[in-house]
Amino acid sequence: MRELNVEALARVEGDGGITVTIDGKNVKSVTLDVHEGPRLIEQLVKGMTPADDLNVIPRICAICTLSHRYSAIRGLEKALGIKPPEKAQVTRELMMLGENVESNSLHTFLLALPDFLGYPSAIAMLNDYGDDVKRALRLKKFGNHVMAVTSGRIVHGENPVIGGFGKYPGRKALEEIKLKAHELVPDAVRAVELFASIDYPTYPEADMLFMSVNAPKNQFGFAGESIIISNGKEVDVEDYKKLTNERIVSHSFAKRSLYQEKPFTVGANARLINMGKRLDGQATDLLKEHYNERWLKNPLMNNLAQAIEMLWSLEHLPDAADKVMSLDDPPIEKPTRENGSGTGAVEAPRGTLYHHYEIKNGLIDSADIITPTAQNLDDIERHMKLTAERMLADGKKDDEVRLGLEMVARAYDPCISCATHLVTLKRI
Amino acid sequence: MHKLRDTPGDIEEDLRSELEDIAGNSRVYVLGLGNTDRADDGAGVLVAQALKKRFPSFSYSEHDGVEGTVLDISEKKEDAIIIFVDAADLRASPGKIKLVRKADIKDTEITTHRVAVALMASILERAGKRSAVLCIQPGRIEFQGKVTKPVMDSIDLTTRVLTAIMKNANS
Repeated sequence: MRELNVEALARVEGDGGITVTIDGKNVKSVTLDVHEGPRLIEQLVKGMTPADDLNVIPRICAICTLSHRYSAIRGLEKALGIKPPEKAQVTRELMMLGENVESNSLHTFLLALPDFLGYPSAIAMLNDYGDDVKRALRLKKFGNHVMAVTSGRIVHGENPVIGGFGKYPGRKALEEIKLKAHELVPDAVRAVELFASIDYPTYPEADMLFMSVNAPKNQFGFAGESIIISNGKEVDVEDYKKLTNERIVSHSFAKRSLYQEKPFTVGANARLINMGKRLDGQATDLLKEHYNERWLKNPLMNNLAQAIEMLWSLEHLPDAADKVMSLDDPPIEKPTRENGSGTGAVEAPRGTLYHHYEIKNGLIDSADIITPTAQNLDDIERHMKLTAERMLADGKKDDEVRLGLEMVARAYDPCISCATHLVTLKRI
Repeated sequence: MHKLRDTPGDIEEDLRSELEDIAGNSRVYVLGLGNTDRADDGAGVLVAQALKKRFPSFSYSEHDGVEGTVLDISEKKEDAIIIFVDAADLRASPGKIKLVRKADIKDTEITTHRVAVALMASILERAGKRSAVLCIQPGRIEFQGKVTKPVMDSIDLTTRVLTAIMKNANS
């Protein structure tokens, strides 16, 4: 038996790794071992007011901070009998577009691309792809800016509240967003071109099941009241437990999810597979040009999906800004009851994020948070196992297998932020 | 790696000397990294916030957007150095300060949360700018914990030294 370790990802905030156990030529198991702390937050918020809950739960993640806040707001507003004003809804759409650009730009250009171009990191890409690295930073900066304008600051903004916004973005800031979004469209098109030109390995391919929210009004979007499953079914978000069926495994602190005993995938690929026909602009043209049946089998296509989605977000931002500008600032809606329950479901960049709350006498009695990565873990392991089996059968060296596994894991854009040991191969 | 002497009283003098040496006649920018929700981990941000009062155009932190700030400075037509200030595990006693030059910054990967300092330093280098990391050893990084006394002392010391350096360089 021997072990191979992959060097750490920097800035660890959580701990995780992949262990592949190989017995001779057989892959015995592949486990994605995650040691996350965020689940404690569900206990931490018990007894808090809904407003205090909103101060705590975005801390689960610094990059999905607005997704967590928005999902919680949706769940809490339902529980408290609040119908948010139209301006709050469109401003929330705007902030989610910003988060999507911020996160997808970082993941596509800087996290995923080096794998496919044969570089160990974005730093090593600088000489040959320096302009693309700077594109990523420009896009990320802009996404951060939209997040700051809508939420109050770049990370953990407090401006989106239950019932509306503390302060709505002003016309000048919105006009600047419109202008800048338009300027950055070519950068997103470049991302699509790059990821469409990649010859994706077939090793992880297998039939997949995809889930995403069903955005209202038959439009593409990042929030909804029902979940679309790629098998043609649709489930109300209040029945989210029928979809996620969380369970505990011995090798990970992160819970796992199965749908009808089968793993499934959430993320940009799921969104485009389930709602891709609702895109417009260049994004729809490029999706039509590059979509093929491999999207339904290969998780690596999520990288291309994120690039197309980022383009759509940039193209859609000016319309969203116009909508915000067209409406007068409404007051914050107040709760109409002190007891109730509600589930929020939004599309974080890496997939569907659920927040469920039970409220009693105005305080949180229970909370349930199901993150995209927790839903994806079983499918990540399944595709990694296939990859390991097929690459080893092809006579690939350990380093190649290790990279193949990392590519699969990274394609899911998992929030195992900064794991120290991503892959360990154990030979018996 | 440049080691600063441990003798009280010399640290400030040594740090100032080191920084003056690497700053030369360049504009000096400070970018404070870390998480103020996690006690001493926020040391870099606290230094940057203190400096921002006096040097609003030259001091930035996580709250301003790290990557965007680096991108903006990299495109400036001036000779400049960025001093990243960050909490780092130096395997030393809390509050220990160490200056790490560009050549010694570990070439680590990028996470989903933020672009690595090594990449930002490389981007700056390609744009003709220089960089260094001023590390402060944390003593406590618990969520919502208080900054420890030795780290607070180092934050104050670092702020004093950088104020003097930036006053000369950026006036």
